[in-house]
Amino acid sequence: MSELAKMKFYCDDQRCIECNSCSVACAEAHELPTGVSRRKVITLNEGIFGKEFSTSVACMHCTDAPCEQVCPVDCFYIREDGIVLHDKEICIGCGYCLYACPFGAPQFPRDGAFGTKGAMDKCTMCAGGPEETNSSAERELYGQNRIAEGKVPMCAAMCSTKALLVGDEQEISTIYRKRVASRGKGVQSAPYGWSEEYSKQ
Amino acid sequence: MANTWGYGAMTNSLGDIQNAKAIIIFGANPAVNHPVGFGHFLKAKERNNAQIIVVDPRMTKTAAKADYFAQIRPGTDIPFMYGMLHIIFKNGWEDKNFINDRVYGLEDIRKEASKWTPEKVADVTGVSEELLMQITRVYAKSTPGTLIWAMGLTQHSIGSSNTRLAPILQLSLGNMGKEGGGTNILRGHDNVQGATDMCCLSHTLPGYYGLSVGSWKYFAKSWGVDYEWLAGRFKNKKMMGAKGFTLARWYAGVLAGKPGEDKIHNAGTNLKALFVMGTGITSIAQQAKVKEALDELELVVLVDPFVNEAAILTDKQDDVFILPAATQFESSGSVSATNRSAQWRYKVIEPMYESKPDHEILFELAKRMDFYEEYTKGMLMKENKKSYKFPEDATDEIARIIKTIGLTGWTHKRLKNHTDNWHMFDEVSLRGHGPMKGEYYGLPWPCWTETHGGSPILYNIDRSVKEGGMGFRNRFGLEHDGQNLLAGKGSAPKAGSNKDGYAEITAKNIESVLGIKLSASEKKKIGKNWKVDTSNIIAEKCMEAGIAPYGNAKARAKVWTFPDPIPIHREPIHSPRQDLAKKYPSYKDKANHYRVDTQYVSLQSKKNWSKEFPINLITGRLVSMNGAGLENRASKYLAALDPEMFCDIHPGLAATHGIRDGAMMWVHSPEGTKIKVKAKYSYSVKEDMVFLPFHYAGHFQGEDLSHKYPEGTKPYAVGESANTVTNYGYDIITQIPETKGGLCRIEKV
Repeated sequence: MSELAKMKFYCDDQRCIECNSCSVACAEAHELPTGVSRRKVITLNEGIFGKEFSTSVACMHCTDAPCEQVCPVDCFYIREDGIVLHDKEICIGCGYCLYACPFGAPQFPRDGAFGTKGAMDKCTMCAGGPEETNSSAERELYGQNRIAEGKVPMCAAMCSTKALLVGDEQEISTIYRKRVASRGKGVQSAPYGWSEEYSKQ
Repeated sequence: MANTWGYGAMTNSLGDIQNAKAIIIFGANPAVNHPVGFGHFLKAKERNNAQIIVVDPRMTKTAAKADYFAQIRPGTDIPFMYGMLHIIFKNGWEDKNFINDRVYGLEDIRKEASKWTPEKVADVTGVSEELLMQITRVYAKSTPGTLIWAMGLTQHSIGSSNTRLAPILQLSLGNMGKEGGGTNILRGHDNVQGATDMCCLSHTLPGYYGLSVGSWKYFAKSWGVDYEWLAGRFKNKKMMGAKGFTLARWYAGVLAGKPGEDKIHNAGTNLKALFVMGTGITSIAQQAKVKEALDELELVVLVDPFVNEAAILTDKQDDVFILPAATQFESSGSVSATNRSAQWRYKVIEPMYESKPDHEILFELAKRMDFYEEYTKGMLMKENKKSYKFPEDATDEIARIIKTIGLTGWTHKRLKNHTDNWHMFDEVSLRGHGPMKGEYYGLPWPCWTETHGGSPILYNIDRSVKEGGMGFRNRFGLEHDGQNLLAGKGSAPKAGSNKDGYAEITAKNIESVLGIKLSASEKKKIGKNWKVDTSNIIAEKCMEAGIAPYGNAKARAKVWTFPDPIPIHREPIHSPRQDLAKKYPSYKDKANHYRVDTQYVSLQSKKNWSKEFPINLITGRLVSMNGAGLENRASKYLAALDPEMFCDIHPGLAATHGIRDGAMMWVHSPEGTKIKVKAKYSYSVKEDMVFLPFHYAGHFQGEDLSHKYPEGTKPYAVGESANTVTNYGYDIITQIPETKGGLCRIEKV
């Protein structure tokens, strides 16, 4: 990852098969309550041939994050690498961010008789929160901090078909560009172009 | 499969699917059941423009990624395939050279195919003529094409015919023994291939040796025990050679003698005890009978890491024992993948609490039954040791004995080496590089010798035997009806000393086929034939000469020992089309089918089942669960995905019964059983069909059995078992239950 890295998610809907390994891996890794889903797989037109497709959605870590704009207590902060995080100790659980978010990313604990109560929870791109990195306080509130350990977020690591890509936006676009460029070119056994260049001689 | 060309296993590998130009999938849903493996299908599509064709009664997640989708009526795969063959032969799209050199008996197939006009196929399968022609054209023209199947093809009363016609389709197009071709059967669980190879089955010894006296004697010798002692463990020698009960119908062995139950042939006694290891028996058909049988048994032992829900299902209070088994993370050893590759697994943690690995439980049992020494002796024999090391010595014992499928090269040292150097292998070709050069990952069997690199693509004659090449196996004699069954001229694996067809290698013919002379000492040591040659001289000499030890023959389209020599269509026992059930009736009833008299046409013609039970019933899996589902339902995050048992139902069908989305409904079975499940509207099923996932247990015919779970063991999700309502019906050869083509009646609760 370069100093200029901006972290992004991308889900290739040509590859996503709604296996839910991203959402289960996320919940398991961060030990989330079952009512909270930081990541969800959405399927549209289910059961209709030629129209059904799925994609995996979580916080998209927007550059101009609407949640940050509307938060009345200003609990959000955006890291230099673009990851949008928030401070649960400041959050008042009002739900304004949920109204503002185009993706339905903010989650609220759903325990108790009257439903939603408590501080907001959302995808951290496995980057923890404002507490000391990899401290137990951070883990308790935000789950694992895999980014600090140099690891890919859990969801992308567990994706069955590698539909879900995450990391430096340039890296992601390189991977995706390669997929597009390799379409119809056959199975890769040597670098593309080699067979044309060298095999005929 | 084994009856067509020698072995009943996936011919290529998951990675090799990337080489395909077309992928046709019958009765399999890899996007749900093999999500990681499905990545190879997607890559084939992405990089290779592979056309994906799905033939299934349901618009599955796999079909969602397909280019063509044919929604057939359950149990009509044979008419569909004959329809394809009809069009292929009519247009001359078959591979004539391949058929001429490598296939026997295709004329009869041509004759049968000529009857299946697209019009007739459309009537029987429900797939339009246009779509059938489109699919056939695409599949026949885009070669190599690979054919995929799983339980949707096998779990029928005609399952064994289905799994013969699919290979015949591939043979006709010359798609066998090719990169990107083959018949790739997807195994449903971890190590199913290994369990099958070791024959955790009732009709054969390990390695598919069968139950003949000769086979028993080979094993007696190889295990270092006296044959007469072995025979003495059985009631008599006849029972020693008799096939046993199967998982599908063990209950019949308990219930026989009661009114309405099938007769058994079990040496005059019913089954009294059941010992279950590593299978959730709540995921097999005829759940109500299973319950009745469990109640009736004198002893039930369930060995499982979780509470096997058989213990919950039964009302039996005494003599039910639950033994905690160690998981894969708490044990080590080799497992076989779907493509015949082995992989060594290391133990991650010591077994927790009082759980024990399976082998320890079996060894303890053997001690108490007083045959522990005989049981473990085979592990000491290779190096004449005083004590064994498990599982290393067990692995070497397998390698020493199992010649039929070529496990000689699977020594524990080599298998560990492959796991350790996993990164040095290519995912598509499985070829190793660097220090692993010359070997394929996991040494896919047959791996003929301790230096052979494995055979990633079966029946591939474009490679030498040393590099994993081979023709079809010479398994069915040298000729039939006066026709030669050996491969045609010039059609032999590359670089062999013999360029034509040849018989399987025996001590008698080795010198003539290989064109060599054996020394006197070799002649003394050599075994009778390649299957029992523990000296391995035959295999070693064959490798030098580039000859496949099992011969080089033709595949056969005709199995003259089967009730249907060529596959023909027969309607399911419970067919929604009474007119077709009369035209394509099921088999004659079969006596002593794995010890049980089994009903076919008598049950099918007993009454018009479809009148009372007009709706097709199919079952299948969910991505979040496997098998009986307990281990998944015990995980709160997996249970949260599918917290309740449900029934996929088309909104149109639901509306005619007044069933709302999310409302409870009854599903009634011709067996007289019923389940109460939640309706889930779905367009993936047609209006004459419902789909049930089979991973739930803990409810039985509307009754909640939650109170029966031992404290702290109740999973997060419980529900009705689909198999309480699956119908009677078993394959004529394998006895697999007909769960993918039955009938039901639905009702609003």
